[in-house]
Amino acid sequence: MRHGNYAFIYDDFLNDRKFERVLSEVDAKLASLDLTGRVGRLTLFRNARDIVQSLVQDGDTTVVVVGNDRTLDKVLWFLPDMQVTMAYIPVGPPTNVASLLGIPIGAGACDVLSARLIEWLDVGRLDDRYFLSEISLLNTNAAIEVEGRYRISPYKGGSIFIRNLGSLTETKPEWANAKDGLLEVLIKPVEEKGGVGLFRKSEAPVTKLFLSSGSIVSDQPVEIKADYYTANGMQFSIGVEPKKLRFVTGRNRRISPEGEGLQKVRHDANLTGI
Amino acid sequence: MQNGVSNGMTVIAKGVKVEGDFDSQGDVMIEGQVNGHVSTNGLLTVGNEARLKADVSAANAVIAGDLEGTVNVSGRLELKSTAKIQGDVTCETAIVEAGAALNGKFMVGQVKTPSTTRQNEAKNASKES
Repeated sequence: MRHGNYAFIYDDFLNDRKFERVLSEVDAKLASLDLTGRVGRLTLFRNARDIVQSLVQDGDTTVVVVGNDRTLDKVLWFLPDMQVTMAYIPVGPPTNVASLLGIPIGAGACDVLSARLIEWLDVGRLDDRYFLSEISLLNTNAAIEVEGRYRISPYKGGSIFIRNLGSLTETKPEWANAKDGLLEVLIKPVEEKGGVGLFRKSEAPVTKLFLSSGSIVSDQPVEIKADYYTANGMQFSIGVEPKKLRFVTGRNRRISPEGEGLQKVRHDANLTGI
Repeated sequence: MQNGVSNGMTVIAKGVKVEGDFDSQGDVMIEGQVNGHVSTNGLLTVGNEARLKADVSAANAVIAGDLEGTVNVSGRLELKSTAKIQGDVTCETAIVEAGAALNGKFMVGQVKTPSTTRQNEAKNASKES
């Protein structure tokens, strides 16, 4: 059964021949599920927002991004303001966001799209730009100021991560709660070297706190990444827009404690053969 | 809002410094440095490597590090053997391990919170009338 209009956005890297097979599988699956709609292709010299706006029709439109996490980043900076539902068919790395949202890679994502399990997700903000997953500052002396009340910083330097949905920079995705109206701040100080082999020190302790708004300040220009967007500067505002984006997610999503619970229930059901 | 309510505990780890009024909801663990003020409606744990120059208030607290400032705990306070406090301490109940150092007044029981004070004043006023 179809729900509203679909607009499919394909990334230009999919023109590579190595994606021919997976794309044909995706297209066949979409057709078998009667999930069809208008199609647009991102290109180097066309603004992504213009392409999406030309495809989005009046009414309940689902914008389906076909590509990878970088493709998501190309549309996420404006999509939360467009009153549409977002969906994702990942076909190649990086796919950390797909993992956090419980979306399988390739044609399996079409079943998720068909099931239409829609979640209202928080969206983070770095100055005027939206982000979904996290902000990161590596090897920095920058500080976080919260509403002029207090300031927190790694005093010997370290890395700062501000997460909405979860980690993009870790080798193993780490999830944050994207439904609590808060950003999770992690500060990892520079590790102190000491010992060798078995006596080597374990991971540096991690500072963890939650906030809804604040700013990042530094005495010197620093590089900051919000998902795959990079900026340089000495001061940035950060915040979160609660329940700003409707996203079609998989049942194995990890976006809140409830989502994790769902995953556990499903696991138990598998064990008992239900 | 400064520190929001979430499922995780707030942790200020070693190597991190906080300056200012650090108000939180929920449990807070401090192993780093704090200059200013700390308050929480949950459990405050000050680790043995923590260095606080701050007035602190919490529902319950466990202190094992250095603290310079007043301590106001509405419930149970536990001072570990490594705790060193310079300042007045007020709490409802206390457990003090041998070796804990305190330089200041130590008042246990009869913690006056703003709400209980107002309730008592209201009771007294009604009796007088």
